[in-house]
Amino acid sequence: MSLLSPLFLFGLLGIALPIWLHRLQTNAMEREKFSSIMFLEQSQQRVHVRRKLKYLILMALRILFLVLLMLAFTKPVFFVPPEGAVTEDTNHHVIVVDTSFSMREGDSFQQAISQADDIINNMGTDDIASLYRASGTVQTVSTATADQAQLLAALETIEPDNGHLDIGAMIAALDSLIESSQANFILHFISDYQQSGQAVRFADMIPDAINGRPVSLNIHQVKSAHVPNWSVASVEVTEIDKVRVGLKNNSAGDLGAEKTVSLVINNGTPQSLTQTFTAPAGGIGYITFENVSFADGDNRLDVTVTPNDSLPDDDRRYTVFDNSPPAPVILLTANPDSLAVTYITTALETVPRGYEVEVLNLNDFDPRILQRYPWIVIDDIGAVNESLAQQLQTYVDGGGAILAAVGPSMAGRQLIPVGGQTVGGGLTFSRNTDYSVQRVNTAHPVLNRASGWNNLVISRILPIEAGADSNVLINLSGNIPFLIERNIGLGRFLLLNTNLDNTWSDLPVRSVFVSFISEAARHLSNEELLVKEQTINSFLQLGQSGGASGQVYDPNGTSLLSLAATTRAQNIPLTETGYYRVVTLGRDVLVAVNPDARESDLTIMDAQTLQNWETMVAGSTGTTSLVDGVAINIADEEPVALEFWRVLLVLLAVIVLMESLLGNRYLRFNTGNT
Amino acid sequence: MQTGQNDNKKNVRAPTRLLDPGVLSSLSNLELVAKAVVEGFVMGLHRSPKFGFSQEFVEYRSYVEGDDPRHIDWNVFSRTDKTVIKLFKGETNSHLMLLLDTSASMGFGVSRSKLQYGKYLAASLAYLASRQHDAIGAMIFNDEVVQYRPATSKSGTLQSVIHTLDKAEAVEGTAMHKPFSRFREHVKKRGLVAVISDFYCDPEALLENVRPLALHGQDVILFHLMDPGELNPDIKESTLYEDMESGEAIEVSPLFMKEDYPEKIKAHIAAIAKTAKGMNADHILLNTQEPLDRALHSYLTFREKRA
Repeated sequence: MSLLSPLFLFGLLGIALPIWLHRLQTNAMEREKFSSIMFLEQSQQRVHVRRKLKYLILMALRILFLVLLMLAFTKPVFFVPPEGAVTEDTNHHVIVVDTSFSMREGDSFQQAISQADDIINNMGTDDIASLYRASGTVQTVSTATADQAQLLAALETIEPDNGHLDIGAMIAALDSLIESSQANFILHFISDYQQSGQAVRFADMIPDAINGRPVSLNIHQVKSAHVPNWSVASVEVTEIDKVRVGLKNNSAGDLGAEKTVSLVINNGTPQSLTQTFTAPAGGIGYITFENVSFADGDNRLDVTVTPNDSLPDDDRRYTVFDNSPPAPVILLTANPDSLAVTYITTALETVPRGYEVEVLNLNDFDPRILQRYPWIVIDDIGAVNESLAQQLQTYVDGGGAILAAVGPSMAGRQLIPVGGQTVGGGLTFSRNTDYSVQRVNTAHPVLNRASGWNNLVISRILPIEAGADSNVLINLSGNIPFLIERNIGLGRFLLLNTNLDNTWSDLPVRSVFVSFISEAARHLSNEELLVKEQTINSFLQLGQSGGASGQVYDPNGTSLLSLAATTRAQNIPLTETGYYRVVTLGRDVLVAVNPDARESDLTIMDAQTLQNWETMVAGSTGTTSLVDGVAINIADEEPVALEFWRVLLVLLAVIVLMESLLGNRYLRFNTGNT
Repeated sequence: MQTGQNDNKKNVRAPTRLLDPGVLSSLSNLELVAKAVVEGFVMGLHRSPKFGFSQEFVEYRSYVEGDDPRHIDWNVFSRTDKTVIKLFKGETNSHLMLLLDTSASMGFGVSRSKLQYGKYLAASLAYLASRQHDAIGAMIFNDEVVQYRPATSKSGTLQSVIHTLDKAEAVEGTAMHKPFSRFREHVKKRGLVAVISDFYCDPEALLENVRPLALHGQDVILFHLMDPGELNPDIKESTLYEDMESGEAIEVSPLFMKEDYPEKIKAHIAAIAKTAKGMNADHILLNTQEPLDRALHSYLTFREKRA
């Protein structure tokens, strides 16, 4: 029993009052002094004894009245376990059904459902069970209950998905979903027990025993024999008119089979090719489609293999081929014939994505065209006048991006235009051949693929002070920034502290320059966020470009973002296979989503491993961090608070009635009889 | 004496009222109570020729030690060089010993305790005796002798006796044997012995203790004090009575107290009276609600008979 307002217990001091009053009464009225009792005779009726008894009962009733009254004020509650409460004798069946992609094979999933059905139907009368589905994530289907009908109804809602199951991750996920209780836990794991699902560390698959409650594992295998499976492993555009398809035989030792591979580009338009292929036994076999033509922009390449095997869902693969023309980018310069322009243009045209560089003279530039370009290049930021700097500032603030370098035009300027960094001490140039790269922030997307920065020969630099709102990506000795990034509004400003005509440093003639330009272009244009080949249950990262992240459509054509959400950066889960479409300002991009290739390997865990696992779980000593153990979800098992102040009030009413009756009798004069 | 009478006339209008115990209770000084009682009583006596309390000279007798020097006739002394004192009619120069029971039962009383009434009575008797030049003494007793003051007619005896009476308190039980034995040892002269008690004792024991006094020549008068609550108790319901002396409790019914108890107490009183008569002593039953004049009358009558 607990008291919700225990301070009212101080009211119990009030019982001193009736005790005191009764004591006074007893002392004052119990006996009467008489000079001598030598002539008195004892009454035959011991009236005063009965009276004293009544008196005590009356006092007890009054004390009880006060006690109950105070108790009623303290709001006493009993916390009682709910009906079907968990005890130490209760078995809690934790039923986990594997719903990963591989469970689509043959009748694996139907068997899993059937076995779960059997477990539920064979539960003991005092047993409870909870139901979970496990794939890329673990989800609760039914919390712990003894209601078999509820469990069976929940079981019917389970469907296989396209995720990949990692058993170690599953155990860890159960850890957070299930709370501890006093039950004996029996983990029923119904799965095809793919070898690819086994945790890297075997210990990660051992659930912990918590609170001394035993945990046992029951392995329910939906298939015990090896099942051959073929899958489309890769689709590559090797040349502008050739597509190479890789077909994988996931069953080592199996003989090859005659397969027909179909390539459908953009839903059969403009072409569809079919070719018969005999896959080798084990490994990957390739077939090349020739004379393939693509449309401009993103192309959908659907590859299917027939005849289907028992897992037909991986006999198809979705691929996106970007056949877009080189993206336009502006290079603003004061001298279009300079070496810097040549180096930058060459680098941009060399990168795989390919850019078409439009060299524009700063003096003739019309800033109104800026909005057409997601990013621009300026070879000498010092040549930008105040008016243009203001226009560029607005452009960046609205989501645009600039890659800029310093140059001779910075002579005499105290501030970097657009970026706002100060040039320390008013110096113009300093010559020091001892400058070397001290630190490179390789975690930054622009630098994480490039190497060779340390070999640069730097002869001149500008003594720039980055400021608190700028991020120095490359530092030279003497703590002088060499590459600075500053986020301005929704856009970015990337500044190189060297000119690009090979006079201040040899960066333009280094190989690192091309990779730098390539990554900088991807970074500034937000292309890095869009990986066009994704695995199911991964996330599509949408950055802000041009003030909006854009709309996303799932493979069924359904828009996934609300109007407000389109203006914010998003991480969108890719839960379906097929093509997701991302539409942003001036861009229309496709993202192909396929099942995890590991799910196509239907090789099952060997029997010894399974036996070891079962044995180790039975003797588990808590090697994993399963926080609360494989235990019951006691969301429904919270103790029920029974308030009984109403009962106390009824008792009070009864006591008041009794006290009144007894008090009335007590006050009545007793004439007595001898 | 005349002055005292005048003072009383000023203070008390109705003489009989002076004898009412209820009125006396308002007086805090026991001597004043005694004076008021006796003066009021004497004023009433003046109307009666039978009981004269005059200053009529009877004879001379030689002065003996213990006599009040104020009563020496100095005229005779101047002529004869003999110290004699004048005796007046009604004066017999008797001894009066007041024996006041202070047992716990004497503390009982509906409006005032029997002990209080007994104190009034004893003080009044002492005052009356003093007025008649009797030697007065007192013994306060319960189951022991609490205070003993031998009878003497010395100056200040009255105040001393009254003071002794005033200090008495009702405690302990009643056992007459011991105090009466001691009393007999101390009393040599014949005189009057007034025993004031509620006599909650066996009449045989009373006889046994008082008879030796009578045989010794003492004139014994028993003032038997009873409270109306003892004579006619009236209770509405069964009551648990606690004995004031023993502390023992007994539950009695109203019917018993109404019908049986009065008979028993009357029988007891009659037995005490019979015992007194048997040893030639007087037994005066006094209801503590009654005025004190009857007691004083009884005393004077008793003294008259003895004279």
